[in-house]
Amino acid sequence: MALNPPFRRVLIANRGEIAVRISRGLRELGIESVAVHSDVDERCAHVLHADHAIPLGGDSAAETYLDFDKILAACKRSGAEAIHPGYGFLSENSAFARAVRDAGLTFIGPSPEAMDRLGSKKAAREEALAAGVPTTPGTEQDVGDQGLIAVAKQIGMPVMVKASAGGGGRGMRLVEREQDLAEALAAGRREAKASFGDDRMIVERAVFPARHIEIQLIGDRHGHVVSLHERECSVQRRHQKVLEEAPSAVVDEALRQRMGECAVALAKRVGYDNAGTAEFLLDDQGRFYFLEVNTRLQVEHPVTELVTGVDLVHLQVHVAAGGRLEQLLAGKDLRPRGHAIEARICAESPEQGYIPASGLLRLVREPEGPGLRVDSGVYTGWDVPPFYDSMLAKLIVWAPDRATACARLSQALRDTAYLGIPTNVDFLRRIVDDTAFRSSRLRTDMLKLRPELAAGPQEPPEDLALAAAVLCQAVAPRGAGGGGGGSGGGGAGGASQGSTAVWSDLAGFRLFEGSR
Amino acid sequence: MKLRKEYLRDGRTVAVTAEPLDGDRWRVRVGEAVYEFHAQALGDGGVKLAPVGQEFERSFVAYGAAAGKDYMVRVNGRTHRLAAPAARQSGGGGGDGTILAPMTGTVLEVNCKPGDTVAADQVLVVLSAMKMEHKLIAGVVGVVQSVAAKAGGTVDQGAVLAVVEAVAVTDES
Repeated sequence: MALNPPFRRVLIANRGEIAVRISRGLRELGIESVAVHSDVDERCAHVLHADHAIPLGGDSAAETYLDFDKILAACKRSGAEAIHPGYGFLSENSAFARAVRDAGLTFIGPSPEAMDRLGSKKAAREEALAAGVPTTPGTEQDVGDQGLIAVAKQIGMPVMVKASAGGGGRGMRLVEREQDLAEALAAGRREAKASFGDDRMIVERAVFPARHIEIQLIGDRHGHVVSLHERECSVQRRHQKVLEEAPSAVVDEALRQRMGECAVALAKRVGYDNAGTAEFLLDDQGRFYFLEVNTRLQVEHPVTELVTGVDLVHLQVHVAAGGRLEQLLAGKDLRPRGHAIEARICAESPEQGYIPASGLLRLVREPEGPGLRVDSGVYTGWDVPPFYDSMLAKLIVWAPDRATACARLSQALRDTAYLGIPTNVDFLRRIVDDTAFRSSRLRTDMLKLRPELAAGPQEPPEDLALAAAVLCQAVAPRGAGGGGGGSGGGGAGGASQGSTAVWSDLAGFRLFEGSR
Repeated sequence: MKLRKEYLRDGRTVAVTAEPLDGDRWRVRVGEAVYEFHAQALGDGGVKLAPVGQEFERSFVAYGAAAGKDYMVRVNGRTHRLAAPAARQSGGGGGDGTILAPMTGTVLEVNCKPGDTVAADQVLVVLSAMKMEHKLIAGVVGVVQSVAAKAGGTVDQGAVLAVVEAVAVTDES
């Protein structure tokens, strides 16, 4: 698709790995990327990658990546014609999408009208029911704590309590006993209020055992919507995805077609016009139930890209500029080819209740090799701030079949090192090497049922580990401070001195100064 | 240059020494055990390790870095976090009655006050960090001595949030 760049300059209202990934996509299209950043993110990977960078001032998400006015002002100042919101932050905020449009700019995402019709779980369930898409029994209304408890008792335990405005597992809880409902609602409301500014809750029957299957959609502004097939994201912990893959081992061509048709029907009904994902639960009888639509690019979009050969960020930019899918996808065979798996690398300790971590990454080594893609937002010497999401990077593998993809991912994780703060790398490898995962016996509660996967081996470190620790310090003493990795970078050790070396090494990078 | 470190393993202190021999050979003592390795620094911060005189033994590439007061080493596909004997670290409810903030965050709730008698699994403080809620339990049965956490306040990793003095639990039967 050798098209003219639809924009000259685009602002990315996000941070970390997804902002780097979008910046790459923009530059491939011949578009200049504009980063925005908080104070602590001044040297974050996305700022280093982008063509221009604009400070927002402050550190909390609320005063930076969630601040409409600052982001719109940065967009104006940079001369960017469009805003890509990434995922999280403002990506599913229809008021922001409207504000972007009202400012005469293009929002690279669905229209605010489509977002409103799908944005809350309640609205999305109503649209799904009307589009003939199967949904789980439950309520679409927040009828107050007493009312929700009554509904839960009526549909039967276990139930899911969810934030009406929800996403990303925040505000969502599985409740198995009636006496736990009140507390779950209270905690859910608090999280929902903090995450979305909206504490309304809904209740649905929990489907058990279930697999999480979702359909990637792309729509244009001319009424076309195409299904890019399923991803399976059944490996979850506390409703956050851990490993994602495409295609699903249990979705055959007939089911793929039926789920795709449901998702497309729902999207067409609301005039959906960019990338989005319809999420479903699939039970052990092959029945599927609509969960929600994420009206944005997903964290796990790379697995779809690897098996279908499309670049979702490129497509998003083109359709936002008015491009037609029939042209953009002309001549492409979109059937899934081979198998892709993504592992989310997070700064957290699964061994200690998934406690998130922040702090200095003294040594980062990301794997290389055929069939590997690393979407990373960190580097050796990066001090992971405590203010945002704990995801550092995504490791994605492609292979001709699932067994080879599993083996490739296991070896890639073996070759990965993020040292200085706890990460989930060993945990990811334990899951990938587990017999249940290898044979695709997956269910959304598998990590809860198998706590040993998070806990890890209990035996103390062998002599080799202790010997290696001391030899690392004896032979490569600079390694203790993050050394190696070229000139100037090593041993920066959290102090802000020495940063000039990092800056001056970056070809093509410049701070945005004034308007042009 | 000879290097000596002490690490905790299974609750016991193990002394580990590395002593240079000729060329790239090192003698390493781990407690009573003695090993010899060829050790070569790689450009990316890693160290290639090969047992001396054992032609068909596997060699390893190890990566190591400090992590706070601990040392993290990754070898053979596994990460080990080695603590020095003096550096006692706890992630809240560590079992000694001192409730530490396991990460930097905001205090959402404080559910105890000095003088309260608490159960080991009782949630004393709810912390919000990295967009999630974390419940910190007492870890011991006892009486709350002091509470430093304030709802709405920001705390640093490792900050003492509350202190519970353990009381002896007798078997009722």
